[in-house]
Amino acid sequence: MSRPDPSRPDPSLPGVEELLRELAPQVLGILVRRYGRFDACEDAVQEALLAAAQQWPADGLPTSPRSWLVTVASRRLVDEWRSEGARQRREEAVAALEVEPGPTESADDTLTLLLLCCHPALSVPSQLALTLRAVGGLTTAEIAAAFLVPEPTMAQRISRAKQTVRGARFALPPPAELPERLRVVLHVLYLIFNEGYSASSGERAQRTDLTAEAVRLARLVRSLVPDDGEVAGLLALMLLTEARRPARTDADGLLVSLADQDRSRWDRDLIQEGVGLISRTLGRGPVGPYQLQAAIAAVHDEAASDADTDWPQILALYDVLQRVSPGPVVTLNRAVAVAMVHGPLAGLAELGTLDDDDRMTRGHRLDAVRAHLLELAGDRPAAVAAYRRAAKRAASVPEQHYLALRAARLS
Amino acid sequence: MKYMIMMFGTAGEMMETQSPEWIKEMIGFMRNLDRELVESGEMVFNEGLQDSDAAKVVRLTDGVPVTTDGPYAEAKESLIGFWILDVADEARILEIAGRIVRYSGMVEVRPVGVAPDVA
Repeated sequence: MSRPDPSRPDPSLPGVEELLRELAPQVLGILVRRYGRFDACEDAVQEALLAAAQQWPADGLPTSPRSWLVTVASRRLVDEWRSEGARQRREEAVAALEVEPGPTESADDTLTLLLLCCHPALSVPSQLALTLRAVGGLTTAEIAAAFLVPEPTMAQRISRAKQTVRGARFALPPPAELPERLRVVLHVLYLIFNEGYSASSGERAQRTDLTAEAVRLARLVRSLVPDDGEVAGLLALMLLTEARRPARTDADGLLVSLADQDRSRWDRDLIQEGVGLISRTLGRGPVGPYQLQAAIAAVHDEAASDADTDWPQILALYDVLQRVSPGPVVTLNRAVAVAMVHGPLAGLAELGTLDDDDRMTRGHRLDAVRAHLLELAGDRPAAVAAYRRAAKRAASVPEQHYLALRAARLS
Repeated sequence: MKYMIMMFGTAGEMMETQSPEWIKEMIGFMRNLDRELVESGEMVFNEGLQDSDAAKVVRLTDGVPVTTDGPYAEAKESLIGFWILDVADEARILEIAGRIVRYSGMVEVRPVGVAPDVA
């Protein structure tokens, strides 16, 4: 993971960075629980992390790294508040008497923190940024680099987000509301993963590795909510998608379609972990869209070649997905499965149902899939025209190049 | 010194007129160029744009902002990408522009505005 950030020197002590990132949400949880005021606590924790990254490699690890961070962050916070009078000093004295939270409280704190960062009052970009900083322990500079925005812009976005949620109560929501709030967290992690994955085609070689961060956070959520099938499904989906990353681009950095990928370059360990996870999860509770998408990814990943793909199985999974979570993207992907099972003309007929859907006709994906199916059907002129329409609409440069090359090869 | 290099053309015209080999070569060139400019420390910011038929124009008409679809400019007049680079001198920016123009009908190079002098 390369994260160029001059403000946090690469610690020479192995594992310091990982340790700090792991402790960041725990320390923040402890502080917010003691002092309230999420926004001020978050700043203090960032400063403590920075101090640790500078001191620990030189001085060695403290006996209790977490207590060290809590102490340093609390001191910053209290220094900040000293001018506000004696009230804080009394609170500080009380806080000093508190015992360290046990594993259960700590897990609850981290989950509460995640839910706060993904608060429904925040915009989606703010949810992403705040989650990466407060739970992921990334610096503002790292997050800015990952989303290709100037650092002051990202600093402002994070600061506004913290203002928005500063009055929110730091406690888990009532059990009845938890599933709905958790869905937002999963969506945020899914978006972080996608942001990293779609940028990983080489066009932006030095971007922060958001996919690795999303996987790490998904593992964290799974450790906090081990019985939720959708959490397991999302983690499995990430692992099974990430497994194909090495084959997703060729030596020239061009995108390679799933059918044409060199499967010997897929990451077998990730596939094994993802398949194992989704196999253990399916059927144990209510099925949801992440579990189904992971199951579909597992069928692809387990096929020795494109020709060996179990398309009837994939189509059956899409049928369930369309019932559980209908939408134009599901219809679009299902059309490919229909084409592979019942022939390209059947797939094209499926696509026809999307022609009046504004959400689809504005983007490039409908034409890209149509072009592919027209190519399979042997209608080259129509396929070329559809590839060109798709290439002109593609918002990402690598996708635009991929589609332009497909068009050029057929014409 | 900071300059903006503007590259003109459209993906639509490129796809209709160029061979797959040319497109592949162009993609490789752009990737290598961007990497080289990041490594040399000259890259400030760069983006590719979608074709101009994805554009909207907002004009003030009788004091009211009115939005219309696309400028639909000729390919040679249509901005398709830009780089903002921080280079040593004009010779260097013209050297880079001279490499880019091999894959584009025309590029324009313009100095970025600077802060006023502090007297």
